[in-house]
Amino acid sequence: MSFPLSSAAAKRILVAGAVLPFALLASAAQAQEDSQWKSGEHLYDSVCGHCHKPEVGVGPVLEGRGLPEVYIKAIVRNGFNAMPAFPASFVDDESIAKVAEYLSTLPAPAAQP
Amino acid sequence: MSEQNNAVLPKGVVQEEFNKAVEKFRELLGDENVLVKADQLVPYNKIMMPVENAAHAPSAALTATTVEQVQGVVKICNEHSIPIWTISTGRNFGYGSAAPVARGQVILDLKKMNKIINIDPVMCTALVEPGVTFGQLYDYIEENDLPLMLSFSAPSAIAGPVGNTMDRGVGYTPYGEHFMMQCGMEVVMANGDVYRTGMGGVEGSNTWQIFKWGYGPTLDGMFTQANYGITTKMGFWLMPKPPVFKPFEVIFEDEEDIIEIVDLLRPLRMSGTIPNSVVIANVLWEAGSAHLTRKQYITEPGHTPDEILKKMQDDTGMGAWNLYAALYGTQEQVDVNWKIVSDVFKQHGKGRIVTQEEAGDKQPFKYRAELMSGVPNLQEFGLYNWRGGGGSMWFAPVSEARGSECKKQAALAKGILHKHGLDYVAEFIVAPRDMHHVIDVLYDRTNEEETKRADACFNELLDEFEKEGYAVYRVNTRFQERVAQSYGPVKRDVEHAIKRALDPNNILAPGRSGIDLDTYKKA
Repeated sequence: MSFPLSSAAAKRILVAGAVLPFALLASAAQAQEDSQWKSGEHLYDSVCGHCHKPEVGVGPVLEGRGLPEVYIKAIVRNGFNAMPAFPASFVDDESIAKVAEYLSTLPAPAAQP
Repeated sequence: MSEQNNAVLPKGVVQEEFNKAVEKFRELLGDENVLVKADQLVPYNKIMMPVENAAHAPSAALTATTVEQVQGVVKICNEHSIPIWTISTGRNFGYGSAAPVARGQVILDLKKMNKIINIDPVMCTALVEPGVTFGQLYDYIEENDLPLMLSFSAPSAIAGPVGNTMDRGVGYTPYGEHFMMQCGMEVVMANGDVYRTGMGGVEGSNTWQIFKWGYGPTLDGMFTQANYGITTKMGFWLMPKPPVFKPFEVIFEDEEDIIEIVDLLRPLRMSGTIPNSVVIANVLWEAGSAHLTRKQYITEPGHTPDEILKKMQDDTGMGAWNLYAALYGTQEQVDVNWKIVSDVFKQHGKGRIVTQEEAGDKQPFKYRAELMSGVPNLQEFGLYNWRGGGGSMWFAPVSEARGSECKKQAALAKGILHKHGLDYVAEFIVAPRDMHHVIDVLYDRTNEEETKRADACFNELLDEFEKEGYAVYRVNTRFQERVAQSYGPVKRDVEHAIKRALDPNNILAPGRSGIDLDTYKKA
């Protein structure tokens, strides 16, 4: 069963949203820029590293392991057991390529105990 | 597998109708914001619930970045009876993650709608869009050197205030009751109207984030844990950064101590002497967040025996209960309250007090101190490694902050979990009067038999707690209908009457909190 919207409601859809001014104080609106993450390092520091950095150890070490981009992308998109997945809206393909590149440039950390 | 679509359709929607809607979505949002390919949708389908992915597979996902686009989306959904499941940052692990409550729903993903619209360092308020993460806010506050402090759930950096507050999540600072500190909300209604709560409807108002109630019925609460609208902006209060922050821990040796701990703590929380959402974590929660794994101690199936827990305590110095709290304010204020607090525990004679000086950079003290001061980290995800395999559900009954009640709930939960071969991994999140008794039902989701046990276990936890007059404050999508039943038929009748009035076509997340015009039958 479905009710079509009344025409008044339909009209409201067309005009609403354009007429809601509100005063902003000090700061300008701020969003992450078009390039979703500034760099591979930025993505690693902001997201992946919170689990994968050697000093954290929630996830396995990724630094300096030469992991292929295609593998990293598959894991990020599908998630992997304890690891959550990330849609492209959160981490886009371009950023995955950058983080893969960044990780491969890092030295492998000393063996963990 | 990357054809036009992934062979999942919304309930009761034929392919042809779905295709029409998809065409309109493309026109409205652009091709790149309409995802219908299997490989694009897979990330939204990752769940930790004990059921196959297909049960919560979306038919499509849409990304929108403006209020006008969201209005356009609901218009199309009304025209073609398309049900949409809205997510903000979509990091609802243990509660259903980013996947829809019902198979086939279209996900409205607002992650890219991520403007920090305003942070006012004088009035200490924020106004943000749904895609804003706590990590993004934290960076903004740091970069601009604002004297403000965030509060967030443990997934902190990757989670966000809108999504978390929509599910009435909690944090660990004095502003830890997030919905309590929320002020002003903008919602796109199913008919396309843009509704602002509180003072938000007043032309030229500058008090939207200042005064919560506005005039007449105050409806913010009605939109949380509900499907009556799509939140596109949310305001909330921020705690001024205090000059001094003093985190501390008190370690208790015995499981039975929970009674005394809670009864000692309550007056300190009630008086505001300890102002933050205190945590009392049991030994396995502590172990998981310290990144110990079960395999290091035992490989036999079934629950982890008590003698192993004792051994873990002996090896590590962890307690059966580990209390984390903090003091905030000027040095003088902190000193005065520290004397009050430490005297209480010293006089009681149980409990080993650990200060930050003693703990140093040791985990899990460090991550707890960070969460209690609004510094993001994901240390606590170590819980998912306790058994591994990607299985986790939060069972979170509400309790009086009364020792005997907490003891009763802990024993009840432990018995049921053990019966199903699982562990009691829990913490109490302490308000002055209430407890969020948060239990992580952890299991190996790659093991089919264990997955079945976890499902049966969760059902039984709900049943047995209900018999004692207990219900949960929040639950994963697989059990949202079941939990709605805990709260009685009248509440559900009212909820569905509101639903009929505001969303007659049942397009907004039908099934959310058990609210669904298609399936609900009045008792």
